[in-house]
Amino acid sequence: MIDYLVSILTEGAIFAILALGLNIVWGWSGDFDLAYYGYVALGAYMTMVLTIGKATAPTEYILGLTLPFPVAVILATISAMLLALIVGAIALRHLRGIYFSIVTLGAVYVLYIFASQFVPLFNGYNGLSGLFDPMGDFFGLDFTTYPYFYLGVCVLVLVIVVVGVTRLNGSRFGLALRSLREDERAAAVFGRDIYLMKLKAYVLGAGIGGLGGGLFAGYLSAFNPSAWSPVETIILYAAILVGGRGSTRGVVLGVAVMVLGLQEATRYLPEFAGHPTFAPALRLILTGIVLVLFIRFRPQGLLPERRMRDKDPTGKGGVAVAVEQPIVGPALDTGVA
Amino acid sequence: MHQALLTLGFGLVAAAILALSALAFTLEYSVTNVANLSHGEILTVGAYCAYLVQQHGGGVILSAVAAAAGGGALALAVHNGVVDRFVRKGIGGLPTFIATLGVSLVIQNILVIIFGASNLGYPVPQGPPRNIGPFLWTDTEIQIIVSAVAIAALLYVIIQHTRFGKSLRAVSQNRSLASVSGINAHRVAALTWLLAGLIAGYAGFILAESVGTFSPYSGFTFFLITLTAAVAGGLGNAWGTLVGGVIVGIALEFFGGYVSASYNLAFAFAILSLVILVRPRGLFVGGRRSVFE
Repeated sequence: MIDYLVSILTEGAIFAILALGLNIVWGWSGDFDLAYYGYVALGAYMTMVLTIGKATAPTEYILGLTLPFPVAVILATISAMLLALIVGAIALRHLRGIYFSIVTLGAVYVLYIFASQFVPLFNGYNGLSGLFDPMGDFFGLDFTTYPYFYLGVCVLVLVIVVVGVTRLNGSRFGLALRSLREDERAAAVFGRDIYLMKLKAYVLGAGIGGLGGGLFAGYLSAFNPSAWSPVETIILYAAILVGGRGSTRGVVLGVAVMVLGLQEATRYLPEFAGHPTFAPALRLILTGIVLVLFIRFRPQGLLPERRMRDKDPTGKGGVAVAVEQPIVGPALDTGVA
Repeated sequence: MHQALLTLGFGLVAAAILALSALAFTLEYSVTNVANLSHGEILTVGAYCAYLVQQHGGGVILSAVAAAAGGGALALAVHNGVVDRFVRKGIGGLPTFIATLGVSLVIQNILVIIFGASNLGYPVPQGPPRNIGPFLWTDTEIQIIVSAVAIAALLYVIIQHTRFGKSLRAVSQNRSLASVSGINAHRVAALTWLLAGLIAGYAGFILAESVGTFSPYSGFTFFLITLTAAVAGGLGNAWGTLVGGVIVGIALEFFGGYVSASYNLAFAFAILSLVILVRPRGLFVGGRRSVFE
C-alpha cells in the first residue's frame, strides 16, 4: 500500500511539473499548444540516450552516453527548449487560435512518427530501456529505499518549479504575458514585442516539459512510443482547466484531482475479461467529459486565477493618470491635417 | 510512366475518400465556425456501423447506408449536444475547438470499451483488378470513386440550387445577418452537421473498405490528413476543400509510393504547415499572411 502511495505521488509530482510548464504557454500566454507532449517525450528520450550507454545490436539509438542523471536531465531540458524554439519561431510568427493549434499538432505528430518509425533515432517502436534507479548507486540506495528517494527528488524539483513560476507570475514578464493573452493589440500598443514574448514563454514552458519528461524517464526506467501519445496533452489541459487556468495553486490542485483522483476513483473497478483497457479507457472518457463540462460551465476552474491589483493605488509610481480632457465632440476625420 | 499512372490511379481512390471527409469537415466549420476535432470519430463510427451490419449479413449497400446513418446521427448529436450549446452561450471558436477534442476522446474510448482497441478486419471481396483506361482498379475502388463523384455532385446541387443550400450559404457568410433575415441559424447548422455526418460516415465506410482494417483510432489518424486537405483548400470553402482533398490525396499516394508510406502523415503535415505559413486562408482564397483570430 505504501509502495503504491509513493509511486502515485511520484507520478503526481511529475504531472504537476508538466502541467505547470503547459500553464505558462496556455494559462499565461494564451496559446493552445498541442505539441507540448512532444517536448515531454523528447526530454524523456534524451535523458535515456544520455544515460544508458552505447547501443548494442539489435537496438539502435543516437548518442548512447553514460552521463550522470542530473546532467542528462539538464541537457534533455535544453534540447526540448531548442525544439520548441524552432517550432515556436515558425508557429507563433503569424498564427493564432486554431491555426496555431493545428500547426503544433502537426509538429508533434511529425516527431511521433520519426520517434516510432526512424529506428536509428530512438530505436523505433521498441523504444529505450535500461535507466534503472538513476543516482541510486551514487547514494548507495537499494530497491526498497530508492522509491522514497526518487519521490523526494521529484517533489524537490516540483517545489523549485512552483517557486520559480510563482515569482515569474508576479514579475513584469508574467504580467506582460497575461496582458497579451487578454488583448494582443492593446499590449502591442503599449510597446510589447508580442512575438518575442510569446516565443520566450513557449520555450520556457517546453523547457519545464522537458525537465518533467526527464524525471518521467527516470520513473518509468523505459520509454517507447506506446508510453506516450500526442493526445495525452489533453490530460494536462483537463487538469489545468479543472484547477484554474493561469493559477499556479489551481494547476497543482487540478493535477491532484484529474491525475491522482481519477486514477484512484477507477482503481477498484472490476477487470472485465478480454477488456484489459477498460479502466484506462473509462479514465479518458471521464477526462473528456470533465473537459467539456468545465469549458461550458466553469471555464475559470476551481481555484481561479487571482486578479492583479494595483500595488500602488495612489498612482504615484504608476502609469495611468487620467487627465481631464475638454469634451469637444466626436473627432472628425476629414483627411486634412 | 506506367508506374506513375498506376500510382495516380490509387491516388484518385485515396483522393476520393479524403475529399469527402474534408468536404464534410469544412461544411461543419462553415456554419458554426468551429473546427470539429471529433470529426475523425464520425468516420470511425461510420466504419463500425458498417462493420456491424456486415457481421449480420448485410450487403455493401446496406452497410453504406448504416455507415452514413451512424455518422449523421453522431454529427447531429455532437452539434446539438455540445457545439450548438457553446455557440448559443457565445463561447468562442477556440474553447469550443478544445471541447470537441474532449468529445473525440470520449467517443474513441467508448469504442475501445465496446469493441476493444485492436484492429478489426474488414473483409470485403474486392473483386479482380481491371483496366479502366490507364488505371488498374478493383470493383470496390470503382465504387468508391463513382460514389464520391456522385456525392460531390449532389452536394453541389443541394448547396447551389435549393432553399436549404441558400440558407446554408447565408449562415456561413454571416450568421447574425442570416438570423435577422428570418433564417433559423441553429436549425440550418444542425441540418448541415447532419448532412456532413452522413457524408463523413460514408467516408469512414469507404476508408475501411479500401484499407481493409480499422480501429477506434483510425478516424482520428485520417482526420489529421483531412485537416491538411481542408486547410489547404481553405477552411469553410467547400469547393476549395474538394480540390484540396484531391491534390493532397494524390500527393500522399505519390509520396507513399515513391518515398515511404510510413512517413505519410509527416509529409501531410509538412504540406499543411507550408500552406498555413504561406497562405493561411487556403490555396484558393486571396492570401493574407496573418491569422489573428
